[in-house]
Amino acid sequence: MVMSASPTDEHRPSTGRYLDQSKIQAALDQAQDLGASYAEVRLMAITDSSVALRDAKLERAIPGQEVGVTLRILADGAWGVHSTTDLVSLPSQIESTVRLAKAVAARRSSKDRPVQLAEVPILEDEIHWKPKQDVRNTDLQTKIDHLNTLHNSAADDDRIISVTCGWSDEHLHTELMTSEGMNRVWSFQRSLINASVTGRDGGEVVSYRTRHGGEGGLEVIEACDLGELGESARIATLRLLKAERAPSGKLPLIADRDLTGVYIHEALGHPCEADLVAAGDSCLAGKLGQTIGNDIVSVVDDPTIRGGYGAHPIDDEGLDTREKNLIQNGVLTEYLNHRESAHHFGIEPNAGARAQDGLHHPLVRMSNTLIKGGTHNDVDELMEDIQYGVFACGSRGGQVDTGRGSFQFAAQEAWLIENGEITRPLKDVSVSGLTLQILKDVDGLTRDARLAAPGFCGKGQTVPVGDGGPIMRISQALVG
Amino acid sequence: MLPDDALDRITEGCRTIGKICQAQGIQQWEIVATQSYGHSIDIEAGKIALAAGGGEGGYGIRVVEDGRFGYAYLVDLGSADYALKQARDIAKVSPSVKGFVLPSEQTAKKVGGLFDKNILSIGPEDLLEQADAILSEVASLDDRAVVTGGGLGVGASATAIYSSEGIESSGVTTSHGMGIQVSIDADDELTSSYEGDSSCQRLPNVPDCIAVAVDWAQKTRGPIEVNSEAHDTPVLMTSEGFSPLFSMVVPTAIRGDRLARDESFWSGKQGELVLAGDLSLIDDGRMEGGRSSSSRDGEGVPTRRQTLIENGRLVGSMWSTRDAAQQVAEGRIDHAETNGCAVRGSHQSPPGTGCADLQMVSSLKSSSQDALLERMEDGYIVHSVMGAHTANPTSGDFSVTSSTLLRVEGGQILGPVKQAGLSGNLAKALSQDVYLGDDVRIQGSYSSGNMHLPDVLLMQGLRINPA
Repeated sequence: MVMSASPTDEHRPSTGRYLDQSKIQAALDQAQDLGASYAEVRLMAITDSSVALRDAKLERAIPGQEVGVTLRILADGAWGVHSTTDLVSLPSQIESTVRLAKAVAARRSSKDRPVQLAEVPILEDEIHWKPKQDVRNTDLQTKIDHLNTLHNSAADDDRIISVTCGWSDEHLHTELMTSEGMNRVWSFQRSLINASVTGRDGGEVVSYRTRHGGEGGLEVIEACDLGELGESARIATLRLLKAERAPSGKLPLIADRDLTGVYIHEALGHPCEADLVAAGDSCLAGKLGQTIGNDIVSVVDDPTIRGGYGAHPIDDEGLDTREKNLIQNGVLTEYLNHRESAHHFGIEPNAGARAQDGLHHPLVRMSNTLIKGGTHNDVDELMEDIQYGVFACGSRGGQVDTGRGSFQFAAQEAWLIENGEITRPLKDVSVSGLTLQILKDVDGLTRDARLAAPGFCGKGQTVPVGDGGPIMRISQALVG
Repeated sequence: MLPDDALDRITEGCRTIGKICQAQGIQQWEIVATQSYGHSIDIEAGKIALAAGGGEGGYGIRVVEDGRFGYAYLVDLGSADYALKQARDIAKVSPSVKGFVLPSEQTAKKVGGLFDKNILSIGPEDLLEQADAILSEVASLDDRAVVTGGGLGVGASATAIYSSEGIESSGVTTSHGMGIQVSIDADDELTSSYEGDSSCQRLPNVPDCIAVAVDWAQKTRGPIEVNSEAHDTPVLMTSEGFSPLFSMVVPTAIRGDRLARDESFWSGKQGELVLAGDLSLIDDGRMEGGRSSSSRDGEGVPTRRQTLIENGRLVGSMWSTRDAAQQVAEGRIDHAETNGCAVRGSHQSPPGTGCADLQMVSSLKSSSQDALLERMEDGYIVHSVMGAHTANPTSGDFSVTSSTLLRVEGGQILGPVKQAGLSGNLAKALSQDVYLGDDVRIQGSYSSGNMHLPDVLLMQGLRINPA
């Protein structure tokens, strides 16, 4: 059978390891014998479950387990990669993958810098972030009960024509062995619940979605007042039915925590990824140490914030994760990096490597990204000077062109601000701008920074992230 | 690339699981399997960054008992018993949908052009040579231009479906695709353009999209000043700029379940005019060489070519077996049945409803881009948008940003605009004055399937907001 060698018990093999360490060590040794300067085998086993209710009826429940493994080999300064669900075939791929790396290297010109990796501590250990309530032990009925609580609250109005509620949880187990002697195993869990609410009033149809989730097991869901989450989604949906289209133009903007998080993720986080900087695809190239934003702006990316949806103990190159200070008081202080980009720039590796799963190689990615709090007490204080502007809340997502430094993000709902006060509800608000301009235009932040709703980030691969911050005011943004 | 016996292996795997289902006395069951292999090259900063290869696959099991369904997936056949237990346990707590049974075997005719044996022989070295050719072509077109990102790849995928209702089908499809971002960073100005191409057949070594990428990176340089007031305006959206918005909004709106549940802006409008009177929307699941076409849909039902909107009137909708049975059982619609529109992301998910190869066509004579510009007189050409995924498929409203757009006055291109917001309601804009170009190009999708779209001139309903 082509697909084979995953564990046959329901959760994990009796040894606690999926990889046969002696065989993998022999394969890594073989890679070096064939001329590899570095080789790694990274396996991810994901035990997951997703459940969806549509109008309180079980639409689908899908339990699953996937195991993938990626062999990454650096030879002659270039990468060769092989990924497979067929674990036992991996040792037989060493020779061809070394050959692949060398073939890439042979096509480089003499002016191209060979890939090298920054040195890191070589560790052999296991780190398991234990959830308080292992989500693998949560039965389907419990999940359905929680989803029903969310549904019942969200659907409680005749104008709500449909509510779809979703649940997903995953237990992630990773094993990494490298030719340098790294041999680490780590695991953690994520849990998420969401609702999509559709409202109709005559010919007007609107939708609103809400999410709660984070790193951890069932306790993540149980920490949330699902009735309140559903109620706020219902109220927002009904408000959107009466909302007007947003004005267009350059306007003062206040963003809630969700939108602030998406803003900083798109506008700053992506251009800070050192692999993009090295590829010549970031507007922040050459700007380390320079002032790029208002001095009230400080930004961190921190995978160690337990409970954040982007939290993880070890990055996918085997480094202990840590907080990264991307901007301190307006000054760009740090790129997110992985070992290759850290060496490229001659900077300290900061554990920014993440892969979507066992079948993908690691890229530089964000984790939990947030703007630190400022000095304003509340949103009223931020609004009091605004004659005509927009208060935008909730995120429908965003996108960035890292090279140009232009970005766009969309709000779920918004209000018009007139003479320092909220007046009418608005819909379909999007905000766009240029990173290097708009960071300077942030002129107000409330004190209370924290992560907002969980999200997903795409960069060829999709990874869960947490974003957030305080409530933020931008003196002038292009609102559409 | 694909082992000679891959198809036999997954077919045999399906049979093995089927035998377990029979032994357990499961009323109805359906096994799907996929096994894919491929090679890919990543390009960064004007050079080949890495070469990769590999394969993945697995099985999905759907069981149906008394109208209740359960699903589970697995990689290793050794865990089939456990996966089946999970699927049956889920079925027990699922609601019974009256009339929901798995589809029966029907003869399905083969769709041509989905497999190219030439792709199977493409190895990593061949792809590296193709990557070199692309890099050289870009440099030869403009020595300032650099491929800052993207890549290319080939793949082969064996799929099989086997069910208690007599369906037993398998096949191999191939793919060859690329997508590159070309940037020109000179004179304190950076412009870029992303273009791609994909096919079931082997692509030329240097596809046309490479020159298009360089062209757009060139012609968006040196932005002109325009009226910065937001204003309603005609917009000529190229196929590449239009398809992300179209694919986010339209395929979802025409799903039968969404229409029946009042979740579509076209709900309750069967037989009514919903698009401009010359426009038709056709989903062709049997298109020769169609990237999403196949002889059978995601649950083994023969695919078909069907008109969903004809001369502006909503005349059809897309259904899969369970969605159809559920909407009838819940009394939302008198009659519905599958019309071969079941789609699956992979073996990891049960079938949903979606389009295959979706086309928008006009009964009017299509126009060259010059003719469209002449008709537009004053407006903009938009070639790509940021944030199409934030468009609202329930309402059709969208608000996106473009950095790849040109100002047009008097039917002539005046020059590029640095950045602008673009907003409107796609459903409303498509129901007014719409004119189609004469060059249909194939684009990917945010929902399902592939979009076959020409350039689209939307005369009304859009607002531009230059930065």
